[in-house]
Amino acid sequence: MKIRIKRAGLMATIQDLGRHHYLSQGVPVSGAMDSLSAQIANLSLGNDANDAVIEFTQSGASFVTEEDMLICLSGAGACLKTEIRRLPSHRPLFVPAGTDLYLENAGPGTRSYLAVAGGWHMPDVLGSRSTYITARLGGLDGRFLKEKDVIKSTGKLTATTKAIWNDLKGNAINYPKWSVARELFLPADTSSIRVMRGREFNWFDNASTSSFFSNGYVLGHNSNRMGYQLQGKSMHRVIEGELLSTAVTPGTIQVTNNGDLVLLMTDCQTTGGYPRIAQVAAIDLPLCAQLKPGDAINFKEISWKEAEKLYIQHQLELRKLAETIKQRYC
Amino acid sequence: MIDLPGKSTLQVYPVSEGAVTIEFGKTIDEDIVNRVNAFDRLLHQKGLPGMYQTVPAYASLTVFFDLQTLLDAPLPGKTGFDKARAYLLGLNEQAGDFEDAGQSKIITIPVCYGGAFGDDLEYVAGYTKLNSAAVIKLHSEVVYKVCMIGFIPGFAYLGGLNPLLQIPRKPTPVKVSPGAVGIAGAQTGIYPLETPGGWQIIGRTPMRLFDAKRSQPSLLKTNDKVKFEPISLSEFEKYSGG
Repeated sequence: MKIRIKRAGLMATIQDLGRHHYLSQGVPVSGAMDSLSAQIANLSLGNDANDAVIEFTQSGASFVTEEDMLICLSGAGACLKTEIRRLPSHRPLFVPAGTDLYLENAGPGTRSYLAVAGGWHMPDVLGSRSTYITARLGGLDGRFLKEKDVIKSTGKLTATTKAIWNDLKGNAINYPKWSVARELFLPADTSSIRVMRGREFNWFDNASTSSFFSNGYVLGHNSNRMGYQLQGKSMHRVIEGELLSTAVTPGTIQVTNNGDLVLLMTDCQTTGGYPRIAQVAAIDLPLCAQLKPGDAINFKEISWKEAEKLYIQHQLELRKLAETIKQRYC
Repeated sequence: MIDLPGKSTLQVYPVSEGAVTIEFGKTIDEDIVNRVNAFDRLLHQKGLPGMYQTVPAYASLTVFFDLQTLLDAPLPGKTGFDKARAYLLGLNEQAGDFEDAGQSKIITIPVCYGGAFGDDLEYVAGYTKLNSAAVIKLHSEVVYKVCMIGFIPGFAYLGGLNPLLQIPRKPTPVKVSPGAVGIAGAQTGIYPLETPGGWQIIGRTPMRLFDAKRSQPSLLKTNDKVKFEPISLSEFEKYSGG
């Protein structure tokens, strides 16, 4: 199974669930910004959740299937279409060789993930296939995808994937009646992002911390996979002084010396020296990943204990999803 | 020995659902750096259940773990954070006095100072009221300690800069070349990649500070010792590693 890129669109890269074992050498996690959608795309095909996927930003990309394919698109903001019709997301799609597919705008959101049966074949660099552009690591030569790139599957299909393939293969585009209800993996209330108090929460005056929770922010234009600029009321310190650099992680909300907020995302540096007002709950990072410059963002406080509980529940639900798909076919 | 905290001042706090930080102090101090690294070595021998990575910094150690594995471990506490905290504080009690910083390598890094490789050397000389030769001498005669790795892959924050060389960083970062050697505040360091950087650039090394193909991609690790060796432009051009 392979595809040829005709138009790469904006900042398309290969990602998996990240590079977690070289943080002490300054290597960021990277990986899919919306790890939930990357996992849904893979699990829908019977793949491993960590298989390599293509991360597309917004619409505009197009590619042609060079062989018969079993693929799945998940995420938000775009869907696949042929010359004549839209195709459903969050479920396996059989697509015959020689089909042109396009990513078309579809509702709010900004990142979509294309998985292939067996996962995209990419070299393992420091334990991950994820692209980290700054150091030209991982993915396809550490770079954005471009026109004429040919990307193929590993060809290593699980029993579940083979069963899905046998069920759908034919001479025309085909897909099952079921799809993964991605929204069920997201919080019921998507209007605010849940955060826990950061270590330096008390470095800011009461007016600042209460406004952090009551006033919204807008995602600035200088926002990318490394971090988001959050525009809104600036924070005022009651405790002055420099913080010694220490490890930071995706989801950390730092306050710069000007009082501006920066939400660190998946390509963020491994250490930072700005005070941390909050940490985004891991399960709400996929919501953040779907925001684009100009979008509003609001925060709601939860306890660290609650965050742990939600994270464990979420992991369990993803394992159940994999099991449900397996049982349907095997 | 100023501000060396006693064991009782050790603080543990959560940074994510899968990471906690142990804070050993709030200042840049060689004793604290040694203590962070001794604790890191001990933790790697003992291993918190589910732990897959640690990030040592100037005065803290962050421990990353798989939350489910930690929750399944028979440790006191109901939450992952409580379990990690209890385990780490217990380990600290067993840990002795942390006086031994362990073996650390001295790595010699050749640097071609000034000229096209050290755009800011003249500025640094002017600011510090020294001449270029004195800046080079003061910068290359010290054995530095790698206090932490961060910012970008393989970037080492080196402690031990001669106070005569302290200089503010640039107001706005500019593009720097891989191998550029910079100074800012009380720190010196080497940029492994082409990146925007705000430190004053005084030279460049032909050594590769980061290479994903090596078994240890980052040339430098926390607790290593580093010495700079001035080389000429022709030595720089002939350099082929090794």
